Amino acid sequence: MRGHKRYPHSLLNAVLLATLLVHNISAEEQEWPEEWYAPFRTASEIGLTTFSDSPRLYVGDIDHPNFQNLPPLEERLPKDPIVVYPLRETGHHGGIARLTQHDLWQFFQWEAAFTISADMRTFFPNLAEWFELSEDGLTLTIKLRDGIKWSDGVPLTSHDFAFTFNDLWNNDEYSPETYRIVEGSKVVVVDDLLFRYEFPTPRPLFINFVAQYGDFMIDAKHFMKDFHPYYTDKDELDQRIKDYEALNWTQLVNDIRREGSDDSVEVPTLRAFKLVERSSMKRKYLRNPYYPKVDPEGRQLPYIDQINMETVENAEIMAAMASTAQVDFAAFALRTQDIPLLKLGERNGAIKVHIWQRLHSSDVAIQPNYNYEDERYRELYWDIRFRAALSHAINRDELNEIIYFGRGFPRQVTVHPSSSFFKEEWEKRYLEYKPEYSKELLDEIGAVDLDGDGYREFPDGSRLTITLEFYDFETPKGITMELVQEYWRQIGIDLRLKLVDGNLQRERAVAGEMQMTLWHADRVTDILFPLFPDWWVARSISWDRGMWNDWSRWYMKEGEAGVEPPPVMRDLQQSVDNMWVAMDEAERHRIGQKMLAIGSENLWVIGTVGLAPHPVVVSSRLKGVPEKGIWGWDNRWTLANHPATWYIDEGAR
Amino acid sequence: MSEAVLERPPDSQDPIAQVAPEELDLLTPKQLAWRRFKRHRLALVSGGVLIFMYFVAGFAEFFAPYATTYRNVTAINAPPMDVRFFEHDGTFHFRPFVYGYDLHINEETWAREYSENPEKLYPLRFFARGDPYELWNLFDGNLHLFIAEDETGAGYIHFLGTDQLGRDVLSRVIYGGRISLSIGMLGIGLTLILGVFFGGFAGYLGGWVDRIVQRMIEVLQSLPTLPLWMALTAALPAHWSSLRIYFGVTIILSLFGWTALARQVRGRFLALRNEDFVIAARLIGSGQNRIIFKHMMPSFMSHTITTATLAVPGVILGETALSFLGIGIRPPIVSWGVLMEQAQNYQVISMTPWILYPGLFVVIAVMAFNVLGDGLRDAADPYNTGGL
Repeated sequence: MRGHKRYPHSLLNAVLLATLLVHNISAEEQEWPEEWYAPFRTASEIGLTTFSDSPRLYVGDIDHPNFQNLPPLEERLPKDPIVVYPLRETGHHGGIARLTQHDLWQFFQWEAAFTISADMRTFFPNLAEWFELSEDGLTLTIKLRDGIKWSDGVPLTSHDFAFTFNDLWNNDEYSPETYRIVEGSKVVVVDDLLFRYEFPTPRPLFINFVAQYGDFMIDAKHFMKDFHPYYTDKDELDQRIKDYEALNWTQLVNDIRREGSDDSVEVPTLRAFKLVERSSMKRKYLRNPYYPKVDPEGRQLPYIDQINMETVENAEIMAAMASTAQVDFAAFALRTQDIPLLKLGERNGAIKVHIWQRLHSSDVAIQPNYNYEDERYRELYWDIRFRAALSHAINRDELNEIIYFGRGFPRQVTVHPSSSFFKEEWEKRYLEYKPEYSKELLDEIGAVDLDGDGYREFPDGSRLTITLEFYDFETPKGITMELVQEYWRQIGIDLRLKLVDGNLQRERAVAGEMQMTLWHADRVTDILFPLFPDWWVARSISWDRGMWNDWSRWYMKEGEAGVEPPPVMRDLQQSVDNMWVAMDEAERHRIGQKMLAIGSENLWVIGTVGLAPHPVVVSSRLKGVPEKGIWGWDNRWTLANHPATWYIDEGAR
Repeated sequence: MSEAVLERPPDSQDPIAQVAPEELDLLTPKQLAWRRFKRHRLALVSGGVLIFMYFVAGFAEFFAPYATTYRNVTAINAPPMDVRFFEHDGTFHFRPFVYGYDLHINEETWAREYSENPEKLYPLRFFARGDPYELWNLFDGNLHLFIAEDETGAGYIHFLGTDQLGRDVLSRVIYGGRISLSIGMLGIGLTLILGVFFGGFAGYLGGWVDRIVQRMIEVLQSLPTLPLWMALTAALPAHWSSLRIYFGVTIILSLFGWTALARQVRGRFLALRNEDFVIAARLIGSGQNRIIFKHMMPSFMSHTITTATLAVPGVILGETALSFLGIGIRPPIVSWGVLMEQAQNYQVISMTPWILYPGLFVVIAVMAFNVLGDGLRDAADPYNTGGL
């Protein structure tokens, strides 16, 4: 046992455990350390005075400038290093982890000003020492920890935050369209370690945004300014753009920021690993010598020295590689139906298949396009009886048996059970399998089979076929839709399925050209639901949605473009505005729950099965990965599990 | 095969060799061809296999125990069932039977494990009433060649196992055969029409018509077929029904298959144009149509049919390839290619290999057509008596 005092479980934590219990994950299995539910402690708080780092840094075979002439460890760490607790025991330095491009995000998380607690509801300071939202909600003040450095040794300062926010996010050229929560706000620097975000309207949810998305809110100004027209004179910049063969500075900056360019190896980072070599198929990362976090025994994190990443596009090959321990960690591109295959690989002891639970409220969220160009479809979709008929025709228990081994949960799209907004009745609405009732509803609408071909026609007698275009990635979407197609056929609905790739999905969804589409329903926790309630309100346009682009556009452009939504949607849009500015948490809850209730009643999107098992394959030499976890975008998959504390034990095989 | 004929010992069972030469002169070409064809045992067997396959595919509703959309949720990814006469305890049943499955999902491996349950004894019933269907969308029926059912009406049989949605693989192979085999026939029918039409005109008329057709053929032959097929099938509209897609794919496949046939037909026409019997027919004032259809066509039709037969596997494989790539026939219509598309993952090979059965049927059909074509080629020229 470690020698430190334990925090008591918070009340929220107890609520989370209770909800997880309801959903079949027992408290014993959910054995995460209590420290993951509390703000980071620092070295001084636990009386840690000596630190150690990895011998790998001193081998001398690294020719990247960030690794030359390293100052002693004490000068690289912040004044008071952040202490991160591993899952159970502390590990040791060393080893090379093998990954594919799918799992990089999960394997070394970004560093933002704040981070998310393991309870998926609360936010803690990360790079920040503390933060404070003013009572009027108009300013968010952030104090940075002293002495945090970029991977090239340059200190992290307020100016780095100001650069990204003021010069990139609020630059019309770089961000022609920006997040609504960013609009009109700016960073004001007080001193090197103190700054504040200033908003035109109260923005209490900005904290959620920083915690979940904040890694995109910091860039190394001392590096990036050379590519920005505010800081570099035009001739020099033009020359640089030419050298990099970019079209303009925005593309150049974008490529560099996203590791899209060969020169991304130069970009300083705050993350646990630093990109040092890059080609189209392979990347090599080395431990960041300036990473500000240590384990409770003073070892600088991460434990692992190096990551060799390989690009694998094919999901089948991905599964095969994972099951034969050719990668040390694989999860993102694995599917529920791969589990038995992966488990086969467990037999010879080379891998361990952990079954996590996806936080997705529903693995498939079927979205009728209420703004489709053809009026007949618009009218039909807008009829709640039609949506109810479609939903009641889906045999979710059978879906659960066939696809999820009976271990998912038939659900509609609503918030995650861990959410403080959650009400059980919402996940149950329109859920039962009642095909006869569906037929009655369709008859009532007047969509009946006139020509005797077994398929119903529009009330006006014209042919009714629904084409659903979708991108089959991440969750079991294809197999689900194959079954849904059959269920709908039985009530006389002719559903045509069309697979599209990611680019086409984006193009078609943003243009609002699809009759129906689908994606999985994430953004359903306390972290993201209040911020982006996109499944319930027409408020933005994105590639994963195709329900109501015209109404969203109307909202985004404040009535100057798009189509005015019907009153109920107008109301909901108003509710979002109100929720975003409400400083009282109880008020936000009231509004959020109202939106969810209306959403549940109206069944904007049709859910299938959610909270489904997700395979996380770990090679037997990789230690520290939890056996149970919550998988999804909201909690950044592994952010609260601190992947920097995962280590390689070569003797483990 | 003529080499083989040469090497044949004098005492062979060759039916033609046993016929006296003067008797040979009395036989019609058709009789001769049939004698010759009969000699090719393998071709004869292949012909039988194909007739059987087409017959089963034609009456798929009757032969398949289940519809393509039928799902047995209690048997997802279930392995093929054994048909038995003896119970586990040795009791003999005159009527064959299968044991029903008990499903157990292994807590450790998450694998669906099926064990035979001796309590669930489902006897096979032949010519029994089962799932209702509409034969060729015309006749209502529910008669099946066989189903498995006990007295209470419970029971199922999955002779070739089930797929990931619990659908019967055998039934789907039979229905898939209807599409894949008919696409072969329909496609070749179109090929034949196009080939004879273009080849005939080019050969008979000659001159600039011939030159244009020749260049057209060369251009078509120089294009790589698979990418072209892919491009064209991918261009079929998404909102088309599966049936229209089916015809679309058929047309696309035959659009590029007719060139070899046309060449051959043209060559024949050129050769026959100046044969005595054609000149004679022309001299006594026969019309052009009569000369072509009455005199010239019959003399090379056998060759044409042989070439066409040999081209059928190409069409079947073309369909299979396109559907395998997910751009040919679209569900809910099943073809062998569609079935094989399902099988194209690692998981199938290591965990549910019975999903690969449709591939076996493709192999059988293609082999049978090739051997049959081989036999037909020998038979098509009965006067080529080789070693006689």
